[in-house]
Amino acid sequence: MGVPIRVEVNGRVYEHTVEPRLLLVHYLRDVLGLTGTKVGCDTSQCGACTVLMNGLAVKSCTVLAVQADGAQITTIEGLAKDGELHPLQQAFWENHGLQCGYCTPGMILAAYDLLQENPNPTEEEVRHGLEGNLCRCTGYHNIVKAVLDAAQRMREG
Amino acid sequence: MRAVGSSIPRLDAWQKVTGEAPFPGDIYLPDMLHMKVLFAGRPHARIRHIDVSRAEQAPGVVAVLTARDVPVNEYGLILPDQPVLCGPGSAKEGADVVRFVGDQVALVIAESEAQAEAALALIDVDYEDLPVVASVEEALRPDAPRVHAHRESNLLHAYRIRRGDIERGFEAADVIVEATFRTGFQEHAYLQPEAGVSYVDEDGRIVVITAGQWVHEDRQQIAHALALPEDRIVVRYVGIGGAFGGREDMSVQIILALAAWRLHQRGIRRPVKIVWSREESIIGHHKRHAMVARARWGATRDGRVVAAQVDLVLDAGAYAYTSTKVLGNATLTCVGPYEIPNVWVDARAVYTNNIPGGAFRGFGAPQGHFVAENMMNRLAEALGMDPVELRERNILREGSILPTQAPVPPGCSMPEVLTRLAEEAGWRRDPEKGWQAPPPLPPGDPCQDPERPCTSLEATPGPRLRGRGLAIAYKNVGFSFGFVDECHATVELHGDAAIERVVVRHAGADVGQGAHTVMAQMAAEVLGVPLDKIELVVSDTAKTENSGSASASRMTFMAGNAIQRAAQEALRLWHEEERPAVGHFRYIPRPTTPYDPETGRSDPNITYGYVGQYVEVEVDPETGHVALTRVISVNDVGKAINPQLIEGQIEGAVSQAFGWAVTEDFRVVEGRPLTDRLSTYLIPTIWDSPLNIQSVILEIPDPQGPFGARGMAEMPFIPLAAAIVAAVRDAIGVWIDELPLTPERVWRALHRPAEREGGT
Repeated sequence: MGVPIRVEVNGRVYEHTVEPRLLLVHYLRDVLGLTGTKVGCDTSQCGACTVLMNGLAVKSCTVLAVQADGAQITTIEGLAKDGELHPLQQAFWENHGLQCGYCTPGMILAAYDLLQENPNPTEEEVRHGLEGNLCRCTGYHNIVKAVLDAAQRMREG
Repeated sequence: MRAVGSSIPRLDAWQKVTGEAPFPGDIYLPDMLHMKVLFAGRPHARIRHIDVSRAEQAPGVVAVLTARDVPVNEYGLILPDQPVLCGPGSAKEGADVVRFVGDQVALVIAESEAQAEAALALIDVDYEDLPVVASVEEALRPDAPRVHAHRESNLLHAYRIRRGDIERGFEAADVIVEATFRTGFQEHAYLQPEAGVSYVDEDGRIVVITAGQWVHEDRQQIAHALALPEDRIVVRYVGIGGAFGGREDMSVQIILALAAWRLHQRGIRRPVKIVWSREESIIGHHKRHAMVARARWGATRDGRVVAAQVDLVLDAGAYAYTSTKVLGNATLTCVGPYEIPNVWVDARAVYTNNIPGGAFRGFGAPQGHFVAENMMNRLAEALGMDPVELRERNILREGSILPTQAPVPPGCSMPEVLTRLAEEAGWRRDPEKGWQAPPPLPPGDPCQDPERPCTSLEATPGPRLRGRGLAIAYKNVGFSFGFVDECHATVELHGDAAIERVVVRHAGADVGQGAHTVMAQMAAEVLGVPLDKIELVVSDTAKTENSGSASASRMTFMAGNAIQRAAQEALRLWHEEERPAVGHFRYIPRPTTPYDPETGRSDPNITYGYVGQYVEVEVDPETGHVALTRVISVNDVGKAINPQLIEGQIEGAVSQAFGWAVTEDFRVVEGRPLTDRLSTYLIPTIWDSPLNIQSVILEIPDPQGPFGARGMAEMPFIPLAAAIVAAVRDAIGVWIDELPLTPERVWRALHRPAEREGGT
């Protein structure tokens, strides 16, 4: 039996009737076609599906689409504005903060949440903020560098 | 700015930071169907009968395929010993037997993934369980059940090296050390689980879009199983979410092609999509081989290693995959990068009912060097000699003879790597005493040390035992042991008076390492054009020619040699006024030779990459946790085409090797994996990965390499585990012979030495 939901995703309002058990990640990918949000595990370990829900980072594999009813969601597709990359995206690019790129959208959105709360984090605080996101390629080094670099860019506005 | 030698950002970065880069699971085609695999879920059984009638009637189900539907029901990279689908009804002998939990039994194709999954439970399979061969020890018993009934034994392959006179070598030795080593399975755990789509195109070709490491090999194996000519198959890669060797063998490629083809034959012209869950990925593809090795080495008082004897067994699991090749590397490297006059190696790969062993970064060299470098560190201790000094006295150098009795290829830089490593780590060379280590690391409480970067292990404040260790390694670049390596490239120059656009065609896979960026850099360098003029056409069998796989640290070396010459040819034609000017080159490196079955004599490899690593660890005596606090990795890459990509490879390899050495404990009981998800199989997190990695890049040209470059992506994985074991020994005073160094294992070694497992 379907449940009607109304969700604002990347500034656009969607209304759908969804199955109660549909996960937010599958709603985003299969229904809205926003495939930048990835699935890397089934146990909420990897963080590849991280999106912002009402400004906070959530693993969209542990949120039901019906729980997002009335919420504002930001996915990786909604971060760049008018073709201009967000400073986090710019910093991941320039600091080689990615290799295969599969963890990248989730990493960037987890970092977004972190920098909102703490615009000037230490390296240790960056690691704390990203401990729920796995990367198998980079050893995380350049990811930490990218987030610190982005923080500086954002502080300097 | 020169293109080669610059840390330019990767070409695919924009797509990857915006989420636009499509990975196979991101492809949604109109009207597509969804496929699920029925895995055996049991390690050894004969299938008496499969009844799919209930599943076929289930809601949304369009087709159910079994062994009967596979034209040639076999595949395998080196040996076609694996059924595409297990079960009765195909011509393949023994295809009715499942040999590991990940054997595939049936395919359900349905309107939705949920419907396909629901129908799996309606397939009735009548299994007769067979005795499980759970370990190499069991497999090698004379009365062991056979994994492949038509073979004489469970021995898949054996190599040996016989050099000099091993008995006289031991007689000449002043000290002899012995140990038995065990290393575990390792899961690749690339973040993107296997996925893909397939369809039959307007020309009647079967198109498979997926992520792998070698489009042409995938095509060949699909064509073989489907009994179709290769030109009826197109394999194309989109974004590849990590590979590390784990995508070198088939996972979803053949079944995707089979599904599209059979549907087409039934008049159903719809694409098919499959996405594996993490659990399906973990049981569905191979692992790094687990190893058991007994070693006995002897040296003279003056630090000459005079005898090295190793008996090494790899768990090949249920099917061959690349086991014979991995075994070849382990055979060579288990006696290390040293010139030892008397060598005796027996190496075997053995079938069991475990998940198959196969390619994984380092390809046998991590296991081999784990033996060799542990033995060198223990010999140094037994001799009372500095470990750098002992290595230097035995090291492979230019002109040295390998254990296989061929000279090491020109450009051997192992001594330079060792020297630089020792210097960076604070060693000093005394004119009389040789290499001298810096003072020992004192124990300390990291929470009292403001200079030291923190790790999560400080959740329990308190003293830590600190230690340091080092190891070195070498590994082949390119295919080995007589396999003919080749790589094609085509370079097209478009324009009139000036070159306006360059098209580089190359099949090579960018698995995340940045291969495509490096290819464009090398083309731009030869042509003298800016990078933004280069357009890549890649990883598509319909548009590119065979490149060989993205493996064996070979892509920069092979692609570079092909692109460099194709670009030179295109330039020559350009100057002869050809428009467009098209240069093509097929690079074939110098030949290698297989092992002699009796002596192991061979010229095994095209060339090598060289690496040395120094580590510092902290062991928490309360919990047994090992934290890697400092790493120095010295890598000779010949020429750094893109230094920042190289550093990325070093940092990633160190993290992954730390996982193999410490955190990743792949548990299997009676052929059944217990750690089939990321909640139980623990890859390093951002906390576990070492914070302090110093990458030192040497550029000693390889005479065969493009711009002097040699491969490097696997090398920084290889010595780390042995270096960590030495550092833990330095910290706690106990040699641990088994990986991973789990907290329990380390704690027992420290507090309960009499109770330690394995009797070592």
